[in-house]
Amino acid sequence: MSESSDDRKWLDAHFDPVAGLYTFSSCLDLAELSGDGESQLVVGDLGSGSSGMKLKVYRGTALVSESSLLDLPAGLVAFFMDLHEPRIPAVAVASGPCVYVYKNLRPYFKFTLPGLEVNTLEQDVWQQAREGQIDPLTLKEMLEGIRKKADVPLSFCSLQFLSLDASDMDEFVQLHKQQPIRRQTVITCIGTLKKSTADEDGVSCLVIGTESSDIFVLDPEAFIILAKMSLPATPTMMDVTGQFDVEFRIMVACRDGNIYILRRESDKPKYCIELTSHPVGLVRVGKSVVVGCTDESLQGFTQKGKKLWRIVLPAPITTMASMDLPSRGFQAVLVGLANCEVQLYRDKNLLSTIKTPDVVSSICFGRYGREDGTLIMTTKGGGLMVKILKRTAAFEDRDSAPGPPLAQSIRLNVPKKTKLYVDQTLRERENGLAMHRAFQMDLSRLRLAAAKTYVKALESSLTPVSSSLSEPLKMNAVVQGLGPSFKLTLNIQNTATCRPVMNLAISFLYDESLYQMRSPYMRIPLLVPGLIYPVETFVECTSDKGISDIIKVFVLHEGRNCPLLTAHINMPVSEGLKLH
Amino acid sequence: FNIVLHPAPELPIVERRNWLIHQHYIRKDYDTCKAIIKELLQETNGMCEYAIYVQALILRLEGKIQQSLELFQSCAILNPSSADNLKQVARSLFLLGKHKAAIEFYHEAARLNEKDWEISHNLGVCYFFIKDFKNAEEHLNIALQISRHDKTFMMLGKIHLLVGETDKAIEVYRRAVEYSPENTELLTTLGLLFLQLGKYQKAFEHLGNALTFDPNNYKAILAAGSMMQTHGDFDVAMNKYRVAACAVPESPPLWNNIGMCFFGKKKYVAAISCLKRAHYLSPFDWKVLYNLGLVHLTMQQFASAFHFLSAAINLNPRMGELFMLLAVALTNLEDVENATRAYEQAVTLDE
Repeated sequence: MSESSDDRKWLDAHFDPVAGLYTFSSCLDLAELSGDGESQLVVGDLGSGSSGMKLKVYRGTALVSESSLLDLPAGLVAFFMDLHEPRIPAVAVASGPCVYVYKNLRPYFKFTLPGLEVNTLEQDVWQQAREGQIDPLTLKEMLEGIRKKADVPLSFCSLQFLSLDASDMDEFVQLHKQQPIRRQTVITCIGTLKKSTADEDGVSCLVIGTESSDIFVLDPEAFIILAKMSLPATPTMMDVTGQFDVEFRIMVACRDGNIYILRRESDKPKYCIELTSHPVGLVRVGKSVVVGCTDESLQGFTQKGKKLWRIVLPAPITTMASMDLPSRGFQAVLVGLANCEVQLYRDKNLLSTIKTPDVVSSICFGRYGREDGTLIMTTKGGGLMVKILKRTAAFEDRDSAPGPPLAQSIRLNVPKKTKLYVDQTLRERENGLAMHRAFQMDLSRLRLAAAKTYVKALESSLTPVSSSLSEPLKMNAVVQGLGPSFKLTLNIQNTATCRPVMNLAISFLYDESLYQMRSPYMRIPLLVPGLIYPVETFVECTSDKGISDIIKVFVLHEGRNCPLLTAHINMPVSEGLKLH
Repeated sequence: FNIVLHPAPELPIVERRNWLIHQHYIRKDYDTCKAIIKELLQETNGMCEYAIYVQALILRLEGKIQQSLELFQSCAILNPSSADNLKQVARSLFLLGKHKAAIEFYHEAARLNEKDWEISHNLGVCYFFIKDFKNAEEHLNIALQISRHDKTFMMLGKIHLLVGETDKAIEVYRRAVEYSPENTELLTTLGLLFLQLGKYQKAFEHLGNALTFDPNNYKAILAAGSMMQTHGDFDVAMNKYRVAACAVPESPPLWNNIGMCFFGKKKYVAAISCLKRAHYLSPFDWKVLYNLGLVHLTMQQFASAFHFLSAAINLNPRMGELFMLLAVALTNLEDVENATRAYEQAVTLDE
C-alpha cells in the first residue's frame, strides 16, 4: 500500500501495481455508464504502444469490461449524445483520423475526419500519369516543381514517390496510379462542449483537435461539423467551457509552445499566451487558467492571457488535472511530478503533497462509485491507484509569506580561535617592532643574494638558456636507465626566429673515477630555428659504491673561450653493478 | 527501401503517432520517445517530419549538436515552407558557434514568418556574440515590440551596460520589472545597478522585493546585507548572511562581509577568522587584504598588518586609503621615513 504524507486527508482505497495500464490523463474519464448511480472509470489503454490497445472499464476495484481498439487512443471522453431515457452517456474514443463512439460499451458509430484539401495541380499530374501521357521521370520533375511552390502540400503518396530511386519508380506508379489522391489527417485531442444547456446531463458536442491545426465541433446527434476553427499550430491539449449555442471558450495548448483562446464569434484565436517552454498540463480554475511547463514551473494566467503568477516546482511535471468539489466549493489543481509526488495547488499555494510509490502518469478526480471525492491515478509502471478524500479533510492555505527561511536559524560555522593563535598574537604585540625589522633585513639580504647569483650565472653562462644575442639556445637534459649504463639525451633548441646557428660543440665535465663516457666531446650540426635536436650519449657508472655525482655539460662555440651555456645534470644512483 | 507488393496497399498516415511522440517528449521520457521515433521512421521510410524534428531536439539535449543540425536540415528539406525548421537549423548553428551562418538562416526564416519575436530575439543574441551591438540592440527592440519577454529585456539591458549606456540599461530594466514584477533576477540586477549609481533608496527597494519573492537569492542577500552593514545594522545583516551561507558556503565576498559584521560588533578574533577564510578562498582579492590589514591594525598587530597592506597595494596600487593604512602601520613600527613617504603617496593618490 502506498504511504501518503497527508494520511489524514486521503483514504487508500485500492492499489494494483500490475494493472498494466499505459495511458494519459486525456484518456481517462469517469461516467455512470450503467445508469444506476454508480460511476465507472473508462480508460483508453495504449497497450504496448503498437498492439493490445483496449478500452477498459473499471467498477469498484475490478475490471468489468475490456474491448479492443483499432489504433492508439489519442483521447477519450464520456458525453451525453441525446435526450433518450435512461440517461446514459456514450464514450467517444479518438484514434487516428476517426472517432469511435461506444454506447453501452458496444461500437455504435464511427466518424471519420473529412479529408484535407488536395493540390489540384498534383491531381492533374497524376491523372496524366494514369493515362500514360507522361513517364515516371517527368512525373517526378513536375511533382518536385509543385512541391517547391505550392501552399497546399503534396499527398503522402507523391512524397513517397519522390523519395524513390529511378528503378522503383515504374512499379510504384503502376501500383498506385488507380488510387485517388488523398490527404488525411489525425486527431490529436478531444473534448466536450455542452450544446445548449449547462446541466450536468445536457447534450454535449464533441470538440476535436487535428494534426492539421484545426478544431472541429461536431453535432452529437448527426455527427455533422457545426464549426471549424483554425490555429497557427497543432493542438495538444484543450479545455472547453460554455455552451455552443450561447457562448463558449476553448483554450488550446499547441505544439509551438503557445496557448490560444478561441471564442464563439470567430474562427481564429482571439487571444494568445506565449510561453517560454512547452505546456505539459492545462487546467482551468474559475476565471483563470493554470499551466504547467517543461521548465518545471507552474504559471497562472487570466482568461485573456495576462500573466498572473509563476512558481517553480521541485521536479518535472508529468501530468495535471483539476480537483473540483462543487459541494464544498473547493477548486484546486493536482500536479503529478517526476519525483513520485502529487502536489495540490490553489493558485500559487501548495496545499498538500501525496507521496506515491511510482511516478504518476495520469490523474483523474471526480465521482467514482458513489463517492464524490475520488482521486484515481495510474503510474508509469502500469499500476492503478484509487484514493478517496476523507469527509473530514480540510485544506488550509498556508501563510503565503512563509516567514524567514529555515536556513536563518543555522549558525554560521566561524572557525574557532585556538590557543596557539592567541599566543602568537600576544607575541606579535610585544615584539612587533623587532619582528618587522628582522623580516625587512632578511628580505633585503635575500633579494641581494638572489641578484648576485643571477648576475654570476649570466656572466659565466651557468644557465641552460643562452643569453647571447647571436646564438639564442635552450637546452634541457634527460637521463634514462637504471644503471650501470645510462643514456643521456640533451635536447637543444635554437630559439631565434629565422637565423640558424652553426659551429657548435658539446663537452662534458665529470668525475672520471665515477663515470665513463663514450663520447665526452661531440660536434653538433647546424641548428635550424624552432626544432629540438636530441643529442645522445652513453654514460657508464664505474663505481660500486652507490654514489652519484653531477655531470656538467657545456655548449661551446668554435673560437670562443667562454661556453654559451652550461647545464648541471644530477645523475641518479646506479642500481646495478658493472660486470667486468 | 522496399515496396510491399500487394495490390493497392493502404499507405499509413504519416503523422498518426506525432501526438504520442510529443506527449513523451514534454514529459522528458526521452528513451520511450526515441523508441517510438525509430519505429515510426522505419514504417514511413524517414518521411515523418515531426519524428525527425523531435529526434533532433533530443540529440541537441544530449549534446550531439552536429547530428542534430543535420537532422534539422533534413526537416527543412522535407518541408521548406516551415519557418520553424529554419529557426532550429539557425539555433543549432548558433550553438556550434557559427554565429554568422546562424544570422543568415534567421533572416531566411524571417522572410517566411515576419512577426516572430523569437527570430528577432535570437538575431539580437547572435549579433551580440559577433560584437555588433548596434544591430543587436535594433533586433532586440523589434522583438520587444512584437512581444515582451523577460529574456529579451535581460539581453538588451546587458548590451546597454556593455556599451556603457547605464541610463538606457536602467530604463530597460525598469520596463522589465513593470511587466514582470516577480522576476527576482531582474529585480536584483536593477537593484545592483542603482547601488552602483549610488541611489541607495531605490536599490534597497528593489533588492528587498527580490528577497520577498525568493529569500534564498544569493546575489540579492549579499547586496542587501552590505547596504545594511553600511547603516550599522550588523545583526540583521548577519541573519541574512546565514541564509546565503547555506546556499553558497564557499564564497569569498560573503565571508568578507561576515567578517566585517563581526568587526562592527567588535568581535575582532571572529572577524579575523572569517577574513582569513575569505583570503584562503580568494588570495588575490585586495578588499579582503585591506580588511585584514585594518583589523590587525586595530588589534595592534602591526607587523601582520604591514604584510597584508603591502600585498593589497601590490594588487591595487592606485588607492590612497591603502597607503594611508600602510603609513599608520609603519608609524607604529617606528619606520618614520617610509611612513612619511607612504603618507605623501596617499595624499597624491587621493586627489
